[in-house]
Amino acid sequence: MTAIIAQLVISGLLLGGLYALVAFGLSLIYGVVRILNFAHGTLLAIGGIAASIIFAVYKLNPVLIAVVLVLVFLVFGYLMHIYLLDPLKKRNPFEATIGTVLVTVGLLLIISDLAAEIAGPTPKNIPLEFHAYIVGEVIIQRAELYILGGITLFTIALHLFLKKTWFGRAIRAVTQSPLGANICGIRSKQIHAQTVAVGCGIVAIAGVLWSLKFPVDPYGGFDLTVRAFTIIILGGIGNLVGALLAGLFLGLAEVFTSFLWASDWAPAVSIVLLLVILVVFPRGLASVRK
Amino acid sequence: MTGSATEKLALAAIFAIAVIAPFLGAYYLTFVFTMLIAYVVAQSWDWLHGEAGYVNLGHYIYFGIGAYVFSLGYINELPVVVCFAFAALFTAGVGAILSYPLFRLRGDYFAFATLALLPLFDLLAANLKGITKGTDGIPLPPKGVIVMGVDVKVFSYYVALAVCVAAFFLTIWLARNKFGFALKAIRNDEQAAEICGIRIFPVKLKTMALGATFAALAGACYPWAYRYIDPTTVFGLNVALIPIAMALLGGTGLLWGALIGTILLGTMQQMLLVQISGFQATIVGIVTLLIGRYMPGGLLRARIVRGTPGLGALGKEHHERLGVRPAVGAAGEALAIERRTIDPDRTILTCNGVTMAFGGNIAVNNVTLEVKEGEILGLIGPNGSGKTTLFNLISKIYEPVAGEIRFDGHLLNGLRRDTVSHVGIGRTYQIPRPFSDLTVQENIAIPLMFRGDGGLARDAALAEAIKFARFAGLEARLFDRADALNLQQRKALEFARALACRPKLLLVDEVASGLTPAEVRAFVDHIREMRDKYGVTVIWVEHIISALSQVVDRLVVLEQGSVIADGPLREVMADERVLRTYFGGSLKEHA
Amino acid sequence: MRTTLFAAALGAAALLGAIAPASAQRTDPCAGPITFGTTISATGTNSTLSDRWMKMTEIFEEEFNRMAGGVALSGCGGKKVPIKFVMYDDQSVPATAVSLYEKMATVDRVDLFVGPDWSTHGFPVSQIFEKYKTPSVMSNVATPRVYEQGFKYITGLAFHANTWSQNYFESLKNVNPQPKSVFWIVHDNLIAKTVYEIHKPIAEKQGIKTVGEEIFAPTTRDFTGIILKIRAAKPDIIYISSFDAVSVPLVQQMRQLRVTAMDVHHIMATGSLARQINLEGVTGELYWHEGIKGPYSDIALKVLERAEIKLFDYLWTGGRLDSYFVMIQAIEKVGKLDREAIATALRAPGAKWKRPGGEFEFDAGGLSKIVAFTHQIQNGAPVIIAPAAQATGTIKWPSPTWQ
Repeated sequence: MTAIIAQLVISGLLLGGLYALVAFGLSLIYGVVRILNFAHGTLLAIGGIAASIIFAVYKLNPVLIAVVLVLVFLVFGYLMHIYLLDPLKKRNPFEATIGTVLVTVGLLLIISDLAAEIAGPTPKNIPLEFHAYIVGEVIIQRAELYILGGITLFTIALHLFLKKTWFGRAIRAVTQSPLGANICGIRSKQIHAQTVAVGCGIVAIAGVLWSLKFPVDPYGGFDLTVRAFTIIILGGIGNLVGALLAGLFLGLAEVFTSFLWASDWAPAVSIVLLLVILVVFPRGLASVRK
Repeated sequence: MTGSATEKLALAAIFAIAVIAPFLGAYYLTFVFTMLIAYVVAQSWDWLHGEAGYVNLGHYIYFGIGAYVFSLGYINELPVVVCFAFAALFTAGVGAILSYPLFRLRGDYFAFATLALLPLFDLLAANLKGITKGTDGIPLPPKGVIVMGVDVKVFSYYVALAVCVAAFFLTIWLARNKFGFALKAIRNDEQAAEICGIRIFPVKLKTMALGATFAALAGACYPWAYRYIDPTTVFGLNVALIPIAMALLGGTGLLWGALIGTILLGTMQQMLLVQISGFQATIVGIVTLLIGRYMPGGLLRARIVRGTPGLGALGKEHHERLGVRPAVGAAGEALAIERRTIDPDRTILTCNGVTMAFGGNIAVNNVTLEVKEGEILGLIGPNGSGKTTLFNLISKIYEPVAGEIRFDGHLLNGLRRDTVSHVGIGRTYQIPRPFSDLTVQENIAIPLMFRGDGGLARDAALAEAIKFARFAGLEARLFDRADALNLQQRKALEFARALACRPKLLLVDEVASGLTPAEVRAFVDHIREMRDKYGVTVIWVEHIISALSQVVDRLVVLEQGSVIADGPLREVMADERVLRTYFGGSLKEHA
Repeated sequence: MRTTLFAAALGAAALLGAIAPASAQRTDPCAGPITFGTTISATGTNSTLSDRWMKMTEIFEEEFNRMAGGVALSGCGGKKVPIKFVMYDDQSVPATAVSLYEKMATVDRVDLFVGPDWSTHGFPVSQIFEKYKTPSVMSNVATPRVYEQGFKYITGLAFHANTWSQNYFESLKNVNPQPKSVFWIVHDNLIAKTVYEIHKPIAEKQGIKTVGEEIFAPTTRDFTGIILKIRAAKPDIIYISSFDAVSVPLVQQMRQLRVTAMDVHHIMATGSLARQINLEGVTGELYWHEGIKGPYSDIALKVLERAEIKLFDYLWTGGRLDSYFVMIQAIEKVGKLDREAIATALRAPGAKWKRPGGEFEFDAGGLSKIVAFTHQIQNGAPVIIAPAAQATGTIKWPSPTWQ
């Protein structure tokens, strides 16, 4: 029984860690720029597909692939904000909201369709074979350890980045008061663009790690976006540690639901949890902590 | 309907095409049928979004539920009419029940939660196999394909068309009647709406249920025509957001928005489908993106469209169609406020040991206060001393943690916020909160429509509102949107709106700051007039003592949530503690 | 006012015209070309199975007309007329497919239909064939219930869910050691569930006891829960009734968690699956395989080659191509373009039909009685192990990679 629970916990943490990684970028972008990016999960899928193709063709190390993709996604995110999203801020709030919905949904349609046309719609992954460690009856893949380690390191790095660096402080300043930050010499437009860029960069990393474990296809990103929304609400908007905990919790809950009950109900866990939490704490869990 | 010639022509043309499409051939029938269904879903979504300002990303679930209920009734051989009725009623019920948890949420949280409803219902449909037959889906028996010698799609088509027509005219009706004004108030500011006497939850619930009903009717038409449903066809994320995109594309909150959006996007998709192979979704995506980027208010709000003669009429906002501009009466005409005779000995407001805390922070601490009828009471205190919180307690924005508040014979504790104006309390906000996308006239008319006695009819309220506007000096801006006013005008508007609540007690929160001395004097005159002419009791929070000193009978000073002085102006201003609070020490010491 | 009205009417007419270029109704049953109307899920969720079929169909039209010279019309003095396809992308949405078939029936006025694919499309579209009394040979609509509606104009090419794994369970009678137990893992999907429900009693009749069954949602990503249940149940056979794409993480995690069994059977063990995970030793079913020659296989292979499709990757391509071949045979049997006669011929009891994978009949409802080839992945490629007549190798038992 202990072995079973240990195995389930490992899988749950892994799944949850990946969920959290998807949510990080979204949380950062939403928390700072207040933009609901509907194309977020689709970007992850595109990252995963690109990684899988690069791996198949050049046999590059996944870490190198991640570096390349992060650079590309950073540029993409930056340009996306400067040319598509930022101009909407000049509109009244009502039009700005609708505008961002239309722009990000439009992007979602464009990138998933282009990816399907170029790379084909079949799901893709990075088929790396690593050997496994066996402790008693518990089996851990080395790849999974890499993924878990990657997630942990990445979370810590991101956390330090936001806490310690000038950019991180600027981001937090802009989040709290764009006007105040402006007065202090921070150009909120630049900070916003850089945040969107970083958010997209994180998605690239998530995409590579994701495709090491699960296949992705160009149409499959939207349910990840929904899942990520759930996580950032559970964890508190803009709160990375909260998102990590929420993601891990969701992963564990899904894995245990499918073992103890039935796997066809596992996806319901996150949705029901989200609705219950929102009903009990209408402003998200973060409000409770305050 | 006061539509222009273009609108009537467009409506006639669209309706004529819709009526004759089935005669052009089965292809046109199915093609237009999908657009009819999409229009109903888009339009019923827009009631909650365009009118009430809530983004319900999961609206499509009602379509799916309607489709399922209809199909289950149909395979159990219930008459089609009964199936439709069941679909509508059941879905309306679901909408009503979901309103309870969902409307606890605001803004983006509401959008998140409703988005999660889609996968939830998809999952329920797939997993509740005993009821829904799971992923097998429900095929409708083939014997119903031909009804009275005609393809059942024709019947389904005309039912869908009828629902469309109903949805269109309901949109006009909603925008024009009192219910619609309640929605508009909610869209702008829920708290201010409640202060104006609108009980907002039932309004939102009814709108949700109404939207659900229409989406369900569209949903019921779908399996009737296509004979098969499964969870992904009616709850899939890929289909669910398209009607919303259509409404946004046309222009949400506009009479023609959902209709034009549906026609354009629907036709475009179909044209792409049959004309070119590949990149259809990309092209739809590019169009969506460009409209979002350059015309985020929707196509009909774009300057090019509004500037085009003829077409411009389609982009008119609802309030631009209203056109109720009754003859202007004479200046100095009396307001429709009951003239009360003041009994100066009667206590109208009693606060007894009222306390309010936010977490560990006590904002109002054991305040006991009496206000006599017809009194003008000044309330002062440093920033954070609890003045506005006290106002918020009296106007039921907050419920006190201890103590009781009595007003005019009513115990206010536990009372709903919207009944506060009904018992006779009106208020303004420190930072004005008018309904910003409504006109001055509409702003003032709203409390008149939602008075405790049932309120005035729309036109009467709009006519009456003119008098209040004139009183507040806003006559020239009557048909301008509130967000076009300057600060002073916004304050005046709020003042007029508060008066339109026919208050016995008026709570005025810092109107003088930022005004010129002449403007302040005008305000002071208004306040005095309210008391002298209409017998209104006033509590005025103000920092500018010179303004207060012109009119108040008595001054109450708050510091850190407690009353530190209470008495005539001169007395209070000489009080040691007050001076210390305000000037950091007594004047004597400094002298 | 009148000019605006005129302009509006003109605009509307132009709009409708743009959506639907009309074509003339045919009157001569011997004139060519014969038009086949079809939709293909070239985009959308199902396109993972069929994104190359539009190109394939274009090539088919060209190659068939070139290699076979067209359809031989015996009723028209034996002259050969070319075929021509009218085809659209249904975007994997059933309602879109319906409107497109209506369009092909009334605006494009195609002569005959082939398609659509998938059961979700088959239900609503089958009515249209009935309404216009135009026969269609559908492909990959495998749900028996579509054919139980009592419709006259439909036939369909797909594995019969009833006989899907018939060859597999037959072949299990001859293996040593004998499997005694099976664990079913089922994708929550119409076809996958039908296959599972039909084969469960067949297995039990053979003395293979069910020791566990689990249905999973297509969005499931982590299968640890199911796999731990499998490990506890220790089945001899693990039978995965699932589409290929959604089961990648399942098989991958089974490998990672060292699941053991005599055999793992996957009803869609395809090339796309094999590229993502180690499928070595897994058994599965194939509709047809390039190595199996038969009627029309020269044309089919040429088309596949030019369209860059491997049957192992696109498992259902066989069904698609066969629907074309069957429709062509039906026209040739009748000898001229006569929809009623073609519909009758297609549903004639006991009639034999040819396909590259062999001969078959339709059942009473119009669904093909095609029994799949059972294969095992050996050295990265499928080896046919049953039926014995077409076998290209023998089963390795117990499966070497699951020990």
